[in-house]
Amino acid sequence: MNSASMTSNRRTVSLVSLGLSLLLCGCGDAPKARFSWSKETDDLTPMANAWVKRAVLQNFGTPNELVAWERLPVEYGGFAGTVTAVETVEGGGTKLTVKRGEGTTAPASARQLLWKSGARVDEAEPDGVASIVAGETESTVLMAQRLDPVPDVGDEFVLNPGNRLLDGRRSYLKNCMHCHGVAGDGAGPTARYLNPLPRDFRRGVMKFTSTRPGERVSRDDLARTIRDGIPGTYMPSFLLMAPEEMTAVIEYVRWLSMRGEFEKRLNDELKDFSRTAIAEQGKNARLEYEAAVKNDPDAERPPTADELATRAEEDFRGMAEDLEFVFVDAGDLMAGPWERADATDNIITPSIARVADTPESREKGRVLYLSQKTKCYTCHGSTGKGDGPATEDFWAITGSSETYPERGLHDEWGHLVPPRDLTRGQYRGGRRPIDVFRRLYAGIKGTPMPAFGGTGLTDEEIWHLVNYVMAMPFEGPSTTTANPSPTVATSR
Amino acid sequence: MEGRFWTLVFVIFAAAALAACAVAPAYQLWFPGSGEALSTIGARIDHLFYVILVVIAVVFVGVNVALGYVLWRGAKQPSEVKAVYSHGNQTLEVVWTVIPGVILLALALYQMDVWASFRMREFYPQDMRTIAEVTARQFEWRIRYAAPDKTLEADPHPDDVYTVNDLRVPVNRPVAISLRTEDVQHAFFVPELRIKQDALPGKRIPVWFEVTRPGTYDLVCAELCGWGHYKMKGRLVALSEEDYAAWLKQAFEDQFDDGVGEGEKSD
Ligand code: HEC
Ligand code: HEC
Ligand SMILES: [Cu+2]
Repeated sequence: MNSASMTSNRRTVSLVSLGLSLLLCGCGDAPKARFSWSKETDDLTPMANAWVKRAVLQNFGTPNELVAWERLPVEYGGFAGTVTAVETVEGGGTKLTVKRGEGTTAPASARQLLWKSGARVDEAEPDGVASIVAGETESTVLMAQRLDPVPDVGDEFVLNPGNRLLDGRRSYLKNCMHCHGVAGDGAGPTARYLNPLPRDFRRGVMKFTSTRPGERVSRDDLARTIRDGIPGTYMPSFLLMAPEEMTAVIEYVRWLSMRGEFEKRLNDELKDFSRTAIAEQGKNARLEYEAAVKNDPDAERPPTADELATRAEEDFRGMAEDLEFVFVDAGDLMAGPWERADATDNIITPSIARVADTPESREKGRVLYLSQKTKCYTCHGSTGKGDGPATEDFWAITGSSETYPERGLHDEWGHLVPPRDLTRGQYRGGRRPIDVFRRLYAGIKGTPMPAFGGTGLTDEEIWHLVNYVMAMPFEGPSTTTANPSPTVATSR
Repeated sequence: MEGRFWTLVFVIFAAAALAACAVAPAYQLWFPGSGEALSTIGARIDHLFYVILVVIAVVFVGVNVALGYVLWRGAKQPSEVKAVYSHGNQTLEVVWTVIPGVILLALALYQMDVWASFRMREFYPQDMRTIAEVTARQFEWRIRYAAPDKTLEADPHPDDVYTVNDLRVPVNRPVAISLRTEDVQHAFFVPELRIKQDALPGKRIPVWFEVTRPGTYDLVCAELCGWGHYKMKGRLVALSEEDYAAWLKQAFEDQFDDGVGEGEKSD
């Protein structure tokens, strides 16, 4: 072999190895998925921070190891049943005859079994299942090992606990995570290309709900959002998603929202232990000192930053006993509203049918729209273009005395939300009359769009407004009453 | 020896390609679904496809047989025999230019009908009805129908019915959609019907078809339109005339639901 072919050989080898290494780069251990912490948690002093993280981890776990907190109104899934007979099998193993709980079907196979009552309820690890013979009403479950203590007839259990949450996680990571983020923080990798931004679920607040003012989102609302998408935004429609997968992903979104809300509630309770609050304290003490020292040169010196930090840590240590209450309170206060969300009496149902969509009704709506009672025009503009005078104001940051640096309306998440241009006929929360009614009744939660239902306006007045608003895209605002569209066929 | 090896490689390659095509339908590697086009125009397009396939198959087989023969003969020749070079053969060149030319011209004339009836307004079916406006946007299909017993107009009307990713059409009659896009270029593609049409910003393009069998078919985007292109997927549901009318009526009622008297509306 001559030297020319040697070099060309060497070149080939190095090209091939370069190609291979390019192919393989990116392989290797993926970074461990984790739930991000809110910036309020990160702002806490070390001890408070550690405590909050521990409390959240304990009750919700990590993306790889989810924890099902029984206190929450989440359908974690699995097959629930009751033992009707127990038998010990030759050569190890226990055979259980079981009756299924309502609304579930026994799976053909299962990973594990978790006891809800009886002697085995305190076992830390769920028991392993060898096989299942699923029957019409009674099934037999063969346990991998001989159970000791032996379960009793009447003991309740769950097969494959948490299955729905796990299915939900799989679907969420595949379909939603790239926008909504692993923790539902609305900061997935795609988010930075989008406007409006994907929803940050961690406040427990959703905008487009059918529930009463201030109430949580219902499962049906989530289903509608996921099925239809949100027109005019990047939230896509998942119409073709299988129903079981939809149920699972809805449960996962609820669970993520609760996780975030729980963390937020703990943060709110421990606000005094945030670095921002301590810095504020220091500043105030310094100002006081500067004022005092003018009259009294021997006034007590203000504490230094270090002193304040140490004091905060000591205070926190002193709170040890109260922390239990903070924790229980946060859990209770959160579980209630989520539990309530799906109750029928929590869903807004108009007391009267839609008022016939006549020119008179629209005229009443128009008058209301321009009235001081509703002030719709201040935000949406007198022509409905979404350019009312309020969009020129500097709005106060919710829960603070400061205003946003830029003009315009903001939502609770701190993002600009222009009032909708009502002449475009685009309804993010759905375009059925009942959707628009509910929007006006309960407002758009987490945004400045106020709730008018109940005390503000009667249901009849809201229907007049609905008729007016829904006619806007089809007629110039000045001709609203003079020239009603002849094609309206909705008054039934 | 080496020459024969190469002869075999070329022949086997060609034979394998033919065999793969022959068994592809049995392994679902041919056209989607049942393999049959489920629209009238689609069946005609498939027919054209098969005509061309036959022409090409004949040419392919001929070329490969000739190639194999030449290679084989060359391989058998003792290595001292010199190769013969030839320069230009007018007759041969005219023949192999004119024959493909005639074939192409024949195909062009033969397919004109189909092209015209799919793409030229004057040749659309007489009783065609535009039933929906399909607006593509990143990354979904937003669809607008006229209320039952109304005709669809270019401008939205207060009683229009809206769906997303869910196009419903009656079978066994020519229907058209009016295709638009709200942002970039997309393409409306229903593989089982063989219907494909680009959506162009600023244009409203009619696309007609007549579905021949009720069923649910994929509706996908066939023009790379951004990062979410791969999931821009909806469904086309073809229904019998009665089912379609019933669905539209229901959809209309749902659309104007006022949340009172669930289910039992007094029309
Ligand atoms: C392409 C990005 C994207 C993907 C993928 C996506 N979303 Fe969204 N989602 C959004 C945006 C943007 C909004 C906010 C729209 C707005 O503010 O009006 C949103 C809002 C929401 C909301 C809030 C609705 C409300 O009433 O406030 C929910 C719930 C939601 N998405 C669930 C999901 C689920 C579940 C999935 C996966 C199955 C998903 N999203 C996938 C972008 C996305
Ligand atoms: C304080 C300002 C403000 C007032 C007052 C206000 N709105 Fe709004 N409205 C908004 C904002 C902001 C949005 C958009 C919220 C979002 O999408 O996040 C909105 C959205 C809407 C929508 C769109 C709903 C959807 O599904 O997309 C309608 C309809 C609407 N408003 C009607 C009204 C009517 C009618 C009134 C008076 C009765 C009114 N608004 C009063 C700020 C206001
Ligand atoms: Cu597309």
